[in-house]
Amino acid sequence: MAMINLHSVSVAFPVYNLNSRSFKKYFLRMATGGKVVEDANKHVMVKALNNISLRFEHGDRVGLIGHNGSGKSTLLRLLATIYEPTAGHLTIQGHISPMLDLMPGMETELTGYENITIRGRLQGLTLQEIKQQADEIAELTGLGDYLSMPVRTYSSGMMVRLAFAISASIKPDILLIDEIFGAGDANFIEKARQKMISLLNQSSIVVLATHSDELITEFCNKALLLEAGQVKFFGDTEKALEIYHNKG
Amino acid sequence: MNIESVATDLASPLINDSVVLKQPSHYQLALKDLMSGLKKWTIWLMLAYQDVKLRYRRSILGPFWITISMAITVYSMGYLYGHLFHSNLQTYFPFLVAGMLGWSLISSQFSDLTEALTQSESLIKQIKLPYSLYIHRVAMRNVIIFFHNIIVIIPILAIYHEVAKVNFYSLMLIPGLLLIYINSISYGLVLGMLGARYRDIVQIVKSLIQVAFFLTPIMWNPILLPEKDRFIILFNPFYSFVELIRAPLLGSKPEWSIFAMVTVVTVLGIFLCMRMFSKYRARIVYWL
Repeated sequence: MAMINLHSVSVAFPVYNLNSRSFKKYFLRMATGGKVVEDANKHVMVKALNNISLRFEHGDRVGLIGHNGSGKSTLLRLLATIYEPTAGHLTIQGHISPMLDLMPGMETELTGYENITIRGRLQGLTLQEIKQQADEIAELTGLGDYLSMPVRTYSSGMMVRLAFAISASIKPDILLIDEIFGAGDANFIEKARQKMISLLNQSSIVVLATHSDELITEFCNKALLLEAGQVKFFGDTEKALEIYHNKG
Repeated sequence: MNIESVATDLASPLINDSVVLKQPSHYQLALKDLMSGLKKWTIWLMLAYQDVKLRYRRSILGPFWITISMAITVYSMGYLYGHLFHSNLQTYFPFLVAGMLGWSLISSQFSDLTEALTQSESLIKQIKLPYSLYIHRVAMRNVIIFFHNIIVIIPILAIYHEVAKVNFYSLMLIPGLLLIYINSISYGLVLGMLGARYRDIVQIVKSLIQVAFFLTPIMWNPILLPEKDRFIILFNPFYSFVELIRAPLLGSKPEWSIFAMVTVVTVLGIFLCMRMFSKYRARIVYWL
């Protein structure tokens, strides 16, 4: 049974390469909403997440909302175990599949099929699993013969199709999604949507970051409102959206 | 991605109210990273192979350009410097070619590994994989390139067969490569971390390698060095590591002092790597 437990977790980034201290303090507070503090070595630290305690359980479909820089992506990366908490404890049970940023890791010189293999391997599929699913992935992309052409010949929409289809082929317990809807043409969006819904239904826990209220109300049964790296509200989706909009 | 293991990895004591399980130490987490990096060998082997293939994707000769450019370099260098130093081509040519093969492997490991983590930034920030995997990827890539390069020794073995022989000592190439690989991983992790944290390191390493090339007997024979200046090679780890490749390629018996130096460097590297990797592993992603 999948489970995520955060116990007073904080994530603080050191920020290097900033010279003017007074300006950067000001700027960071404006731009990130995060709290900017200095550590002992006089490095500027951005507290992207501050003392967060949460528990997600089987069946939770959590919509992540908040302004730019409120910590949504950081939280997703934390849950994807890419970031490790700088304070507090994080416990995760279950196989995670992050769909955070689809494009990096695409080799444009390689063909679509080759990219399917590489990305599949990186995301933990075995060669056999990839072979079994290759047709299904190819079908979902709807790219047909283009799959045997180098990815550099693709349009950006076609690249998104490919990337999405590969990521969606993994059957995770915990699915983390960061704003990936809305690419491709109408036909693909519909296909992707159906695939997404089936993925969402198969996953034990879903955490979805988005700015679209529609998606939240449609897919999620809980919402988490972040503000300046802290939990502002966690619970009912409608209430969360209301607080979010009233405040803004 | 096997998250069951990551779960224990990351962390953490199951905080069920008051029950706090023992948390794995930084040392254990670092060791786990190294182990799972090794276990995922199929992935880094694939990536390394891909890297080599990609570089020559649209060229007709493909990766054999590596061999060709190496051949042009060493043969022309051998000819030119052989005459410049008035040395006997019979001995100088094989010495230089074998030395250059060793040097090209070691120097490319040094400079590429410093960039190993920064260049994989987009992957590191997207998919959780052991950090050591990215080091293996680069180290393996250079080993693959080395095996392309090594072909240039074949004509030398044929033409100068009195000096460069294939014999029992040629087999020493295997442990030699293995030792270089182990050091590539341990020092590679350290350099990779330094390169990620301080972006100047890459430039520093690159210029140090230039200097090391001239200080190490590759173009010049160590015999030419007066007795009192021998310390230049005696305390030069590059010399010992180049010799790990050069001696077997020429079929000559490696000196024991080489292995003493290599052992010291290897042990030091593993110690340094474990210290630094344990301490800073969790910070790496924030540096990128």
